[in-house]
Amino acid sequence: MNSKHHKLWLWLPIFLLILMATMSFSVTLGAANINWQLVWQIIFSKIPWLSDWVDVTWSDSAETIVWDIRMPRVLLGALVGAALALAGAIYQGVLRNPLADPFILGVSSGASFGASLVMVFGWQLMLLGRFTLPAVAFVSGFVSLLIVYFLSRVNHKVRLETIILAGVVVQSFVGACLSLVLSLSNEQLQTIVFWMMGSLALTDWSYNQIIFPIILMVGVLSLFFVKELNMLGLGEEVAHHSGVSVQRTRFVLLVLASIITGAAVSVSGAIGFVGLVVPHIIRLLFGADYRVILPLSIVGGAIFLVGADAFSRTILAPREIPLGVITAFLGAPFFGYLLRRAKRGYF
Amino acid sequence: MLDLQNVSKSIEGKTIVNDITFSVQKGSCVGLIGPNGAGKSTLVKLVSALEKPSGGSIQFIGKDVQDWTVKKLARHIAVLTQGGLDPYPITVFDAVLMGRYPHLGFFERESKSDYGQVDEVLNITGLTDFRDQMLDTLSGGEKQRVAIAKAMVQQPQLLLLDEPTTFLDIGHQKHILKLVKDWQKRDGLTVMMVLHDLNLAAQFCDELVLMDEGQIVNIGTSRDIITSETLEKVYHTNPEIIQHPTLNIPQILL
Repeated sequence: MNSKHHKLWLWLPIFLLILMATMSFSVTLGAANINWQLVWQIIFSKIPWLSDWVDVTWSDSAETIVWDIRMPRVLLGALVGAALALAGAIYQGVLRNPLADPFILGVSSGASFGASLVMVFGWQLMLLGRFTLPAVAFVSGFVSLLIVYFLSRVNHKVRLETIILAGVVVQSFVGACLSLVLSLSNEQLQTIVFWMMGSLALTDWSYNQIIFPIILMVGVLSLFFVKELNMLGLGEEVAHHSGVSVQRTRFVLLVLASIITGAAVSVSGAIGFVGLVVPHIIRLLFGADYRVILPLSIVGGAIFLVGADAFSRTILAPREIPLGVITAFLGAPFFGYLLRRAKRGYF
Repeated sequence: MLDLQNVSKSIEGKTIVNDITFSVQKGSCVGLIGPNGAGKSTLVKLVSALEKPSGGSIQFIGKDVQDWTVKKLARHIAVLTQGGLDPYPITVFDAVLMGRYPHLGFFERESKSDYGQVDEVLNITGLTDFRDQMLDTLSGGEKQRVAIAKAMVQQPQLLLLDEPTTFLDIGHQKHILKLVKDWQKRDGLTVMMVLHDLNLAAQFCDELVLMDEGQIVNIGTSRDIITSETLEKVYHTNPEIIQHPTLNIPQILL
């Protein structure tokens, strides 16, 4: 047996415990004073079987605040953080580029562009109703990825350098379209800008219900590819000679990562830095083995974003700071510290 | 075992490999030699199905290499590339274990016997002491030994080597080639390697294929190939040729 698995089995439960603690602590934060025992009592009262053991001693308003207002938001934060960190880890592995983040292939610009159109024109597609915004954002993000992918396809092969350049090209083109829409819009300008900076406000359980199955499915699927991700680390030719079908593996992984990025962006806007920094922190602390990086990035991203959201709600309360600002404030210095400390040259 | 029939490859109108026909017998060691740009590395890439030929066919145990799936082909053909392994920070053990990949099903975990094989191969290649060391802390020669070990656990019938000794000192050069030679004797392995060093090629290969400008100039034993007329025609230089004092094969002095 090798040490990597021991590492994972030691740290995964610890990470999960930290996540639980961060989440329940985050639910206690806010104008109404609610302690963490009450939070857990309310949670237990919602779980079948366990609910018999809990006596209802709290007011309805406390239950509404915990269960209908704060919980959905905290849970969405965890899901979005997990999705972005997982996507970032996959992008960095597949593109073999330390600067890769979930937005490098234009998924977020595409999604932002779609979302801005919805906001400016006030579309409400008939069947989708209030899910129009996330649905359009998701689809337009995915379309940008496909454009990037087919732009970079030369002679039936996609080369890494070309795909990153194609991502830059599509990103700046779609970015220009977005700026055009912004400059033509008047009263919606602030809404769009705030959406682009990322926020978990205005969520209820319905958003969780859409994004949870997507993240769960993609998360599980991506764990099937950890071995291939490690082998790509030794070089693409080497991976090919060891039996990895490089082009196919890369396409599948990029699509998976883009699906969860699109899902996350569509419900919370483009929250930067999570997808870049969390996988790097995990890598610096626990090594470059994707069998360890992927699971720990998922939980680590959730912890990071729940924590950042707690900050964004409380620091200037009752005013909220955009989440993207907090993630950069928290992430950048810590990342810088780890970089200085790390001896290894490899990302 | 390996049959090349009229194989050609051109990239953007430029012919790199031109109408190559030869076959490699099971258990033999064939050396590809020739000046820079002769098409040797490209030929290796064609045989390992990394690239598609523009014309002709490459049959490996009766089936065109392009018709094999990448994974199935990797059960039979292992390759040591020119660049070697990238300095990725995983342990030597984990890197060698990756050689078992083509033998595993989708999402199948490595078994005890896979781990056992890795340890056995680490022992053969003298890497046991490096077992838990990170790949990015090894020297070029040590990393090339890890690449050989990884190829060994892959248990191929055919081993392709593209200038495996280029960046190594003479000690490591000899060591790497000896590992290959011992392995060949042990398992009846078939070897095809690109070598720049004609002296090493003469010592380690049963048969030499001399290439120039994408075509085969001559095929034969070292005594047929390493002659001043042939070499001058291809390399445009006139080296001294002497007999190796113990091995009785031609060696060149520049």
